[in-house]
This record gives sequence, C-alpha cells and structure tokens, in this order.
Amino acid sequence: MGKYALFLGCLIPMKNPQIEKAARRVFEALKLDVVDVQGFSCCPEPWNFKGASLEEWLLVAGRNLFLARKNGRDIIALCNGCSATLIEANHLLAEGGIEAKRVLELLKKRDVHLDGKVRAAHAVEVLYRDLGVDKVAKSCSAPLKGLKVAVHYGCHLLRPSEIMNVDDPFSPTMLDQLVEATGAESLPYRDKMACCGSASMNKDVSLGMARKKLMDMEEVGAQALVVTCPACFDQFDLGQIEVNRKFKESHSLPVLHYFQLLALAQGSNSEEVGLSRHKIKAKELNKVISR
Amino acid sequence: MLTSVSREVRVTQVNLNFRKSLSGIEKVGDLGQCFQCSACLPDCPAATFSPRFNPRDIVMRVLLGLEESLVCPDSLVWDCTTCYACAERCPQGVKPVEVITAIKNRIAEAGLLPQQVAGAVTNIKETDRVIVHSDTVDRRRKELALPELVSGERLIQRILRGEGNG
Ligand code: SF4
Ligand code: SF4
Repeated sequence: MGKYALFLGCLIPMKNPQIEKAARRVFEALKLDVVDVQGFSCCPEPWNFKGASLEEWLLVAGRNLFLARKNGRDIIALCNGCSATLIEANHLLAEGGIEAKRVLELLKKRDVHLDGKVRAAHAVEVLYRDLGVDKVAKSCSAPLKGLKVAVHYGCHLLRPSEIMNVDDPFSPTMLDQLVEATGAESLPYRDKMACCGSASMNKDVSLGMARKKLMDMEEVGAQALVVTCPACFDQFDLGQIEVNRKFKESHSLPVLHYFQLLALAQGSNSEEVGLSRHKIKAKELNKVISR
Repeated sequence: MLTSVSREVRVTQVNLNFRKSLSGIEKVGDLGQCFQCSACLPDCPAATFSPRFNPRDIVMRVLLGLEESLVCPDSLVWDCTTCYACAERCPQGVKPVEVITAIKNRIAEAGLLPQQVAGAVTNIKETDRVIVHSDTVDRRRKELALPELVSGERLIQRILRGEGNG
C-alpha cells in the first residue's frame, strides 16, 4: 500500500467539513497511511482558474505536486476537481509538450523540480485500485441492506479517460461496486453518465441538468444520491432547493459523499458523518441506518 | 443612366491566425481534422439546455477565424460545463472542451472575463482558496475536531511571481 498526503482542496474543508470528517474516519478504519501535509493551496480548480490561464494553472498545480513529492508521499484527494487538476497537470508536465516545457522552465527557476515520480489520485480510485473492493466490503460492520442508491460519478473522476485511465468514461462500474460493498444497492437509471451541470455559468444549463438527473434517479426509486465531489454535492444538495424554487417542484433526494456512506456502513451514526448539516434531510436514509 | 445604390455592408471580421493564437494548442488535438460530423453534440449538456450552444459550431468558428463571435463579453463558451463528453465522443481526436478552455484563456487576455470568474480567480490568487476563509469555517472545523486550516500565506502569489516555492 502507498503512503499518501491528504489533499483537502477548498470546498470540502471550508464548506463541507462533515465530508472530511467522514473520510478521516474511513481512512482510520481501513488503516490507510494518510497524513496531513502543510502548505497545499487550491489545486487550482479546473474551471475558472484554468479558464483564465492554462499556464498559471499548471504552475500552481506543479507546486502542489512538488510539495507531496518532497514529503515522499502520493496525493489522495476527496474532490473530482482536485484530482482532475492534479492528475492532468502531472500528466501534462511529465509529457512535456510545448506549454508544459515553458512551465517546467518557470518551475525550475522557482526551485520546483518534478521528476515524474509523484502520483495523484482520487480517494475512490485508491480504494478501488490499491485496496480492492473486497477489503472495503469486509470493513463494513453495519451493512446498509435495503438502501437503494443512485450514484453520480461526476465527469472529472473518469474524463479525460486517456489521462484518468481508471474506468470506462461512459459505462463505468468502479463507484457502483464500491457502493455495493457497503451493502446498499446501486440502481441503473437513465442517462447515468450525464453531468451535474455545476460548472456552467448559464443557470438554464446548470439547473436544467441537475433537475433532469434528479428526475431520472427518482424514476427508479432512489433513496439516496451518492457523489464523490463537493461541487456535485453542492449542485445536488443546495441546488435541489434552487430547482424546487425555480420549477415549483418538491424534490427531496438526500445527497451523500461516498465517504459518508462508507463511514455509515462501517458503524458511524448519521450525526457523526454530519448528515444533519445537509440541506436535504435524510429521512428515508435514517430509517435504514437507525440502530 | 444608372443610379448608384448605397448599400450598408457589415463585414464580419475574420482572423486567420485565431486558431494558432489559442493557448495550449498541443492539447486541443488537430482541429483541422474536424469533419463537422456532430458526434460531439448529443451528449453535450450545454447544447441540450442552451439553444445558442453547439460544440461542433464552436470548432467551426475557430477554423473559420470568427474570433469576435467567441472572444467577446458574455461569450457563449461560459455555457460549457467542462464535462468532456465531446472530447470522448469525437472520432477525429478533436477536443472541443480544450478548444473552449483555450478560447477562455484568450478572453482573459483580452480582459473580458465575466465578473464572477474574475472574482473567483482573484480570490484564489489572494487567499490560496476558492472561497473566502471566514470565522464560520474555523468554528465549524473546531466543532468537528478537525485540524486547523491555514489560508492567506500568499503561496500562489509567490509561485506566480517567482518568489519561491514555499
Ligand atoms: S469536433 Fe469531432 S465530433 Fe465534433 S464535429 Fe468535429 S469531428 Fe465531429
Ligand atoms: S465539455 Fe462543454 S462542449 Fe463538451 S460536451 Fe461538455 S458541455 Fe458540451
């Protein structure tokens, strides 16, 4: 097993620390070697910051990668945005294309030397690839039998697939397998790989996507929606209130980060994983996990 | 005798170097291979909910040099969710999503970033974080017995300005 530096990013530790709490409980339960490293900045996020300047985005990501390397650790992230940025930047800098060459020169001048040996990964990928689904299943002392879950992978966990290289970008099974390891059932549903819409600046696109996904999940009787990213989380939790207001509807599908679900299956109670902080209350879910 | 008719002509500016001016072009794939098949369209969430948006059309405008229609205030490229479906679906190795990022970079160089984007980027550069680090953040972390979170050490400014890597 690898040695990891926990890359928290911004949205989880600042807006949704209950997800961080759950993840730390899980790492402990699974005896993963994960430590905190001081000095990480924003990854930086792959929407606005990358949109403003690819070069600056690579520079800042390069610094974060270097910091993990200096500590002799690989990066483990809890957010699709963080893992996408760090995996893609790592790939581009190692490949050394025109753009990357210029950035590598700038990094050298700042005493940042990347030797291509650091790895960055989403924690879900670490569980799936490094630890294995069986070990995750064995850790679940309080399986969530009877819970029907709709998983939302989040685009950046898998795409661009030639760089993420973790599962099929249109019909993956990684997260479904990990959810089923908790004892819950992962439901098939329409347009499962559609985006949550969060990153669009156009509210018609953003809320339209969120609403469509909620309806597709409700159609098959989902009792909970499981994500792996705080941006998707906000889009479906807080976003559900916005969708309800805008379309005069009453969606009430509770949203969980995968590590909250897993912590519950490992015996944490709903308060310990912070479900009461969520906008959409987990009524149905509480029935399944009440013990 | 012929009377001359004066006609008002509005010429669309064409910038034949537009394609070359896009940053990160090596990641964009070979744009010239786009044969306008629209395979990038059906799974595009932005196109589904925004009638003005079409990834095939964006690639075409770049190839034709129609810079003004993309590098402008309130450009339609901000409708994109960066979901990468277009790049995954393209049979020609073109990556419309990367073309869009490159266009966004040109919009930033032209000083035309939407206020919301410019504000978010400024906050990241000034505080190292994507959102404002308030007392509420620290209070909630304390309640959950989570380690202290440090922001505002100018880590990003220092690396961008070449003042070191610390
Ligand atoms: S970008 Fe690719 S998928 Fe889209 S129209 Fe061009 S060739 Fe077809
Ligand atoms: S990345 Fe943008 S253009 Fe491509 S499919 Fe997604 S929303 Fe459409």
